[in-house]
Amino acid sequence: MSPLLHFSEHTLQEAALAFMALAYITRLTWLFHFKAGSDRQAPTGAADTTPRRGILYSWFNIAMPWAMESTRTKMFMYIQFIIFHLGVTAAIGLSFIIPYAPRLLDSRVAAVILMAIIGAALLVGLMRIIRRISDKYMRAISSPDDYFSLLLLTVWFAFAFLSVPNSTAWGEWHLLTYFFLTAFFLVYVPFSKISHYLYYPFTRYYLGKTLGHRGVYPMKHARQSGE
Amino acid sequence: MSSINTRSHKAQKVIERMGKKLNRQIVGSLVACVHCGMCTNACHYVLANPDDPTYAPAYKADQIRKFFKKHYDWTGRVLPWWVKAKSLYTDEDLEELKDTVFGKCTNCRRCSINCPMGVDYATFNRMARGLLVSVGVMPEGVAVVSKDQWEIGNQMGVLKEDYVDTLEWLAEELQEEWGDPNATIPIDRTNADVVYSINPREVKYDPRTISDAALIFYAAGENWTMPSECWDMTNFGLFSGDDDLGGAVARRLYEKVEELSGKTLVISECGHGYRSTRCEGPNWGKLDVKFPMESSVITMLRYIREGRIKVDKSKNTTPVTFHDSCNNARSCGLFEEPRELLNLVCSDFREMYPNRTENYCCTGGGGAMSMSEYTPRRLKSAKIKADQLKATGAEIVVTSCHNCVDGLTDLIRHYKLGMQVTQLVNLVANALVIEKKVMVPVEEITADLAGYRILVADDEPDFVTFVATILEDNGAAVMRAYDGDEAIKMARHEKPDLMTLDITMPGKSGIEVFEMLKKDDDLKSIPVCVITGKPELRKLIYDRPTTPDGYMDKPITEENLLINIRKILKVHHHQETVESKKQI
Repeated sequence: MSPLLHFSEHTLQEAALAFMALAYITRLTWLFHFKAGSDRQAPTGAADTTPRRGILYSWFNIAMPWAMESTRTKMFMYIQFIIFHLGVTAAIGLSFIIPYAPRLLDSRVAAVILMAIIGAALLVGLMRIIRRISDKYMRAISSPDDYFSLLLLTVWFAFAFLSVPNSTAWGEWHLLTYFFLTAFFLVYVPFSKISHYLYYPFTRYYLGKTLGHRGVYPMKHARQSGE
Repeated sequence: MSSINTRSHKAQKVIERMGKKLNRQIVGSLVACVHCGMCTNACHYVLANPDDPTYAPAYKADQIRKFFKKHYDWTGRVLPWWVKAKSLYTDEDLEELKDTVFGKCTNCRRCSINCPMGVDYATFNRMARGLLVSVGVMPEGVAVVSKDQWEIGNQMGVLKEDYVDTLEWLAEELQEEWGDPNATIPIDRTNADVVYSINPREVKYDPRTISDAALIFYAAGENWTMPSECWDMTNFGLFSGDDDLGGAVARRLYEKVEELSGKTLVISECGHGYRSTRCEGPNWGKLDVKFPMESSVITMLRYIREGRIKVDKSKNTTPVTFHDSCNNARSCGLFEEPRELLNLVCSDFREMYPNRTENYCCTGGGGAMSMSEYTPRRLKSAKIKADQLKATGAEIVVTSCHNCVDGLTDLIRHYKLGMQVTQLVNLVANALVIEKKVMVPVEEITADLAGYRILVADDEPDFVTFVATILEDNGAAVMRAYDGDEAIKMARHEKPDLMTLDITMPGKSGIEVFEMLKKDDDLKSIPVCVITGKPELRKLIYDRPTTPDGYMDKPITEENLLINIRKILKVHHHQETVESKKQI
């Protein structure tokens, strides 16, 4: 292993992680300096809909594709979403496995599973790029950050895919690119839309709390057809 | 906060005031969007305008998000072009924003419940409306209605004497019909178990909903009352985004209930009224309301469950469907009770799909009915609702919202669906089983317009025939005019006791005819009931110093026509009596 690769796997990642943590803390501090709105009214709706149940339903809503019309009627998009986010998780995991637990990759099964997940996510990334460019609705709502973030993740998936074997038989270029991209990704995330997962618990918490208090969440009986 | 010298005063104020309106929920929604596009097809505007991406909820949200990012979010301050952050500079920018937040969204919240991230666009769209209203940038209708609600106390500018007159007249009818002096509408009774609040539309255009509610309270033996003042449960603050107005209107009603020592506030069927009074009012007014509040739908259902009223569903056999008001379903969780009630009072209830929290907006929500400049856009987007209605095969659509009644009526006429719109209160009243009913001889009812001479002015011959037949069947002598010039000529020649007037007619328009009548000393006392198929023109005639004595939207029913005509004649007769007494 070259000193540069060692640096990129350890020092660079640790510095990037520290920066990201600092940026996240700053971001959350900023979010929390806004006062939370309060609901003074007595609860409405069915007795079994409470803020607590509303919050839980809201948080896990994304794991219930049947719960929202938008996911229920676009199951292919939902599957893409699952694959893409599993790919992100796997690729992030890989950035810890290679430097700290490389022997895990000695298992052929584990390596194949990781490659399958990341490879599928790479395909989804390409499909998402095409959708964002070709769909006029997507073009209308996209910012440079949207394009760049998607491109960044897709390229990152490609190098993560190549890095899973953790082999330097063809040189270190793919590993170096993967770890430098990972570091850049960690530093860039707080400034981009990729940071959405930081806000997800809060937006869904407050929406769930309000709609739970008002008897809307958990949603029941809303049906698309009489069948 | 950044600023440049070229920014208009209004734009500067909008940006400054945004800081005061932001709370954690709104900021979360503003920063969390990933532009995934999943919300796109949740919006009825998008579905009806597939070639125009500016209707996409995420696109509309970005028009607000861009100046939030520019001034309140570091990503937009550091790299504005990268995240599409942009400030507001000119009054034209504000006009563009107005077009989006008022004209392209009804705040129905359908996109909010379809957003995987939980972005509540409807909430911050309302915030943006409030910011624009605070600098005077709003559709004219919003300004007019808000002014009425601030100054007169209700959003249709109904004066106290007209309101009380109407209640007294309805109470008299109720007493006559049931032959019981207790069948009345108690006004300002203290310590009542129920204080009933209504929508001013009921006084002005749909008094039958009040008399039907009164009948139900009477049948249930309820100790109830209606306030003589501060009775409006609607709240234009919800639509305009003006929290001050919202708080003031809600406070008036709450204080009135406390003044009367009322035990429960019952809110008549109105989606935005229910949401505003029941849910948002305490938040806007920063009040802790001590008495319980409930929708009249729940009250009626409770009466049936408790055996206080008996209903017979075989009295309502026409196929009905139910339209969920967005405010009731998506913001208050009120969607099962109306169905339970419908199944108790109707024999043929047909569900509409999608429904409940996933139902589509009537397209008249969010104050859209008061924004006539957006009417073509609204009616185009109503195609989605029209298709939904048509698919049910029902002849009547029931809704628990007055706004929806107007929105649905308008789209039913536009798409020629031939359906009627009604409310649960009407169906429950019709299904009531009251054994001690006093039968009034048929002749007395059918001939109560005998001796009255009524001029019907409308350019649609079929409509003239329809109205004339009903009035003649009830004893009136009817004259017919098919254009404005003929209407004036006949009014001068015949001096009718009442005139029904269409607004759009060949020759002189209804507005011109109305002006000429009111300027002519010989004719100005003729009461006029405007009946029009263009409710968006209502403003033109109501903005005048003298307003018509009645107003009805087409299509009309026989029952509504007679109720309105009788009311106008009765009020007019009452006014004449008072004036002659004064002269004596």
